[in-house]
Amino acid sequence: MSFINNNWWFLPLIVTIFSGILCPAMGTVLITHKRLLQVNLISHCVLPGLALAYAFGVNPSIGGVVSGLLGSVVAESLTNRKSENYEAVMNTILAGMLGFGVILIPLLGIRIDLETVLFGDLFVANFEDLLETIIAFSVFMLLMAFGYEKVVYVGLDPEGASASGINVSFLNLALSFTTSLVIVSSMSAVGVILVIALLSSPTLLGLDKAQSLRIAMIRSSLFGLCISLLGFILSLLFNLSPGPAISVICVATLLIPKFRK
Amino acid sequence: MATLVAENLTFAYTKKSKPVLNKVSVEIKPGTLTALVGPNGAGKSTLLRILQGQNTPDKGEIKIDDENLYRSRSLVALMPQRSSMNWKFPITVEKLVSLGQIKYSKSRSKNPFQIKALLAYPNSWINKCCELEATMQRVGIANLANRRLDSLSGGQQQRALLAKTLMSPAKIFLLDEPCAALDPPAKEDFLKIVRQLADAGLSLLVSSHDWGKSLNNYDQVIVLDKSVLAVGSPDQIKDQLEEINISSIKENNSCD
Repeated sequence: MSFINNNWWFLPLIVTIFSGILCPAMGTVLITHKRLLQVNLISHCVLPGLALAYAFGVNPSIGGVVSGLLGSVVAESLTNRKSENYEAVMNTILAGMLGFGVILIPLLGIRIDLETVLFGDLFVANFEDLLETIIAFSVFMLLMAFGYEKVVYVGLDPEGASASGINVSFLNLALSFTTSLVIVSSMSAVGVILVIALLSSPTLLGLDKAQSLRIAMIRSSLFGLCISLLGFILSLLFNLSPGPAISVICVATLLIPKFRK
Repeated sequence: MATLVAENLTFAYTKKSKPVLNKVSVEIKPGTLTALVGPNGAGKSTLLRILQGQNTPDKGEIKIDDENLYRSRSLVALMPQRSSMNWKFPITVEKLVSLGQIKYSKSRSKNPFQIKALLAYPNSWINKCCELEATMQRVGIANLANRRLDSLSGGQQQRALLAKTLMSPAKIFLLDEPCAALDPPAKEDFLKIVRQLADAGLSLLVSSHDWGKSLNNYDQVIVLDKSVLAVGSPDQIKDQLEEINISSIKENNSCD
């Protein structure tokens, strides 16, 4: 314990490692399922839940997860991916939910550091943040341990998966729940908005020529870990904000495939 | 061996919409290759989904060997249209084909390997491993087992999808426009494979836009445009074609 107290960077480093591994692994599943817009939606939908949870004395992360999941369920009930208005409806809901959250904060008379929620503040991560990240990590690992084959089948052939007896709606709900957990748990590291970069860019590198979803997830996680650690170190060295630094490095990694060619 | 009989199937997607299918009756006999042809919007895919049990008809009934379809759903397998597949998914051909063995529903066929035994090694001991290999060999993709799905040509992808469908414990196979977007040699190749499968004792119903020489590969042709316009052998159907109004099909002759 005294080691942690004497080395303030230790807890943020562990949170960085977990988030760096978890977010790209989750992102790989979501990209292969063509559900990345859902990430955007959920990340914008957590704010009203956070505000309400603060106001009623509940753990804000629980409020965030419920709110994110609710936004996702509402969006899926209003539209579906085959609909031509899918993107318009999704974007309207995500903007509306973010706006609703911003309205709630003064209405409920609470104080939330919006900048920290949206863009993270890794260097002040505490045990609670670490615990949330470990819970999200565990839920994701459980999903993969017991549902990997179903996740593969639904991502590849949703109709065939449904015909073979898989409850596709339930699996999608489980994915939305896990996504909400991952986003909220990454709040301290990169914030609920910048987490989108960590969910996406390492995945693009990991997916390239991967022979299976499992291999793609492992490779994405390794890339994500490198990106997160690099962002963490650069932030320490140059006194930068870690969340935005990690996001900028994510953007830079988009150039890697160009150099490979 | 199993016979599928569907009688007077009527189906509309919503109560207010016009029926997509109106009093459609079909019979798929064991060991036959049947073509289901009709224009776009004729209800071919809807009929296949109903015959597979994914959609429930508003009226009519489906029986397999005199037993209700919903009690023996696992006896019917559907190969979906190309467009419903995520071809970019990171998966090898072998893994894709093995997914066909997975059944999460409670109604399992008692003898899942019976049909596959007919495919290539009728007298051999069949286990899951050699069944996978035999099925891939049968459709000519054994040498592609470790290739990623998105590295294959369209024809190879369709053969991989057919192999996956054949891995299911079904006895009747419904193929939804398997030749769509295939070039003529790939199409011919694919039809040769399904012909061989029917000759080996499988029952196949193949939906298609094509209306031409390729119909000669089939034992039976069903012409559908919301309702069944004609049923018979390819020669009988070509004779009847002049009498029935299916101009949109005739226009598609050039596809073949």
